[in-house]
Amino acid sequence: MNSCAEQVVRTEAPLVRVRQVSKTFRGGVRALDPVDLDIERGEFLTLIGPSGCGKSTLLRLIAGLVTPSGGRVDVAAGASRRAFVFQTPTLMPWASVADNVRLPLDLEGTTAPEARERVAAALARVGLQEFSRAYPRELSGGMQMRVSIARALITDPALLLMDEPFAALDEITRARLDRDLLGLWTGTPLTVVFVTHSISEAVLLSNRVVVMSARPGRLLDAIRVDEPYPRERGFALSERHARLCAQLGGLLEAASGAGPDE
Amino acid sequence: MNERAYPRWLRLAAPGLVGLATLLAWHLIVTLGQVPVYLVPAPLVVLGALASDWALLGASLLVTLKITLLALGLALVLGVLVAFLFVQSRLIELSLFPYVVLVQVTPIVAIAPLIIIWVKDPTAALVICATIVALFPIVSNTIVGLRSVDPGLVDLFRLHHASRWQVLLRLRIPSCLPYFFAGLRVSSGLALIGAVVAEFVAGTGGTGSGLAYQILMSGLQLNIPRLFAALLLIAATGVVLFLGASLLARLALGRWHESEMRNEYEPR
Ligand SMILES: Nc1ncnc2c1ncn2[C@@H]1O[C@H](COP(=O)(O)OP(=O)(O)O)[C@@H](O)[C@H]1O
Ligand SMILES: [Mg+2]
Repeated sequence: MNSCAEQVVRTEAPLVRVRQVSKTFRGGVRALDPVDLDIERGEFLTLIGPSGCGKSTLLRLIAGLVTPSGGRVDVAAGASRRAFVFQTPTLMPWASVADNVRLPLDLEGTTAPEARERVAAALARVGLQEFSRAYPRELSGGMQMRVSIARALITDPALLLMDEPFAALDEITRARLDRDLLGLWTGTPLTVVFVTHSISEAVLLSNRVVVMSARPGRLLDAIRVDEPYPRERGFALSERHARLCAQLGGLLEAASGAGPDE
Repeated sequence: MNERAYPRWLRLAAPGLVGLATLLAWHLIVTLGQVPVYLVPAPLVVLGALASDWALLGASLLVTLKITLLALGLALVLGVLVAFLFVQSRLIELSLFPYVVLVQVTPIVAIAPLIIIWVKDPTAALVICATIVALFPIVSNTIVGLRSVDPGLVDLFRLHHASRWQVLLRLRIPSCLPYFFAGLRVSSGLALIGAVVAEFVAGTGGTGSGLAYQILMSGLQLNIPRLFAALLLIAATGVVLFLGASLLARLALGRWHESEMRNEYEPR
């Protein structure tokens, strides 16, 4: 299935192995047919597919938030720390930005001085150090999403799962967050699994894009984006980018045709 | 909905002016129209009665206030306990909720005589009546509040292996607070209504000293100024209770919840 992945010779075992994982929800909705997927260490993998095809379900299966109806999700020893960024910022409205970001540390019982230090560092990484005392309602949508990302990164996760994180933002904010996310990821051992329905965002960000079919979801095809990081600003406007988008668009159209809706 | 922000002084002055104008009109109509004092006393006459009968009325106010606050406190504790019990399982809620509604929809005037017969201590009887009236908004609001947790946050807590206790303290209770305070605000008024109604039903068989009793006796004696003065005290108590509940809500939620948001906190 992932012909691209097989061409790459890797010495290390994948970070996550998804083996014949399927999901049928109570009530009989077949969200996911058996799926195989290897997530390599340090890659930026994007899942793309028509809406309702099971992208969120697959991501939640990898996160351990949903139990599979069949198959297994094997996570390498080093990847027990997983973080999730949802489509909405999902912040606690009663807590300040700093308190929101330190929540994972509080739940783990990290000591106060260490937590404070790490919160400051995490906020600095997303450029919000001045807003630590603000409340979520006082921030714009893009800034709230930055807080959400800071909260995800604060536990130093091996695997970051992002479910259409920028879909609700305006074009300009989304472009800026895309760039900043790449900046945060480039040169770190972090592995990212990113869900989007934007073809150009997928090509812009990822090493590898996996296309899913309409419900019940299956993995159809994968394309590799062999553009080195850090990616030039011009990449988004380049011919290579356009060609990859067209290729991906073709795959996606076939994927949408494969199912009942759209 | 972008409401225009009127300055603070105007927001206080506007209702104040309406009040003053009403009092003035009342005064003029009563004095110029020579309305007999046993029908409608002039505002100053009511104030006079309030001052001259203060020993009596003040003591009655304390009695009514005591019953109201005891009932409100009891409704608060019981209401929160019942709500926590109900959200433990759908089955518990399904089996018991209809009876909570049943108690709620039965008029207190109809239940009060029984309670007054059953419960020997008159103060306790009145407190029970007022509690029944005040209970429901706290129960139903707290249930809704405990259930209305952002499912994304629940996932987040699960992802970080939060214990049940952490979920309760850090997620369910804070999410519930705005709903709880909305219930408390309604219940504070209802507790007063319950206390007054129950005392009316109890009549001379009750404690015989609350504000409702004074209204009852003043009516019988055609002492209308005193009746008005007692009425005024009840209304004032209601307003103070409402403001107290609102103040509590503001202190607890102040900066984050939209119902308590002020203009300073517009998104940047
Ligand atoms: N908890 C659930 N219970 C029942 N059906 C669900 C649940 N979550 C998702 N589904 C169904 O599974 C299918 C895939 O959903 P989802 O993974 O959210 O798709 P996507 O993220 O690709 O839009 C949809 O048809 C959706 O209605
Ligand atoms: Mg989704």
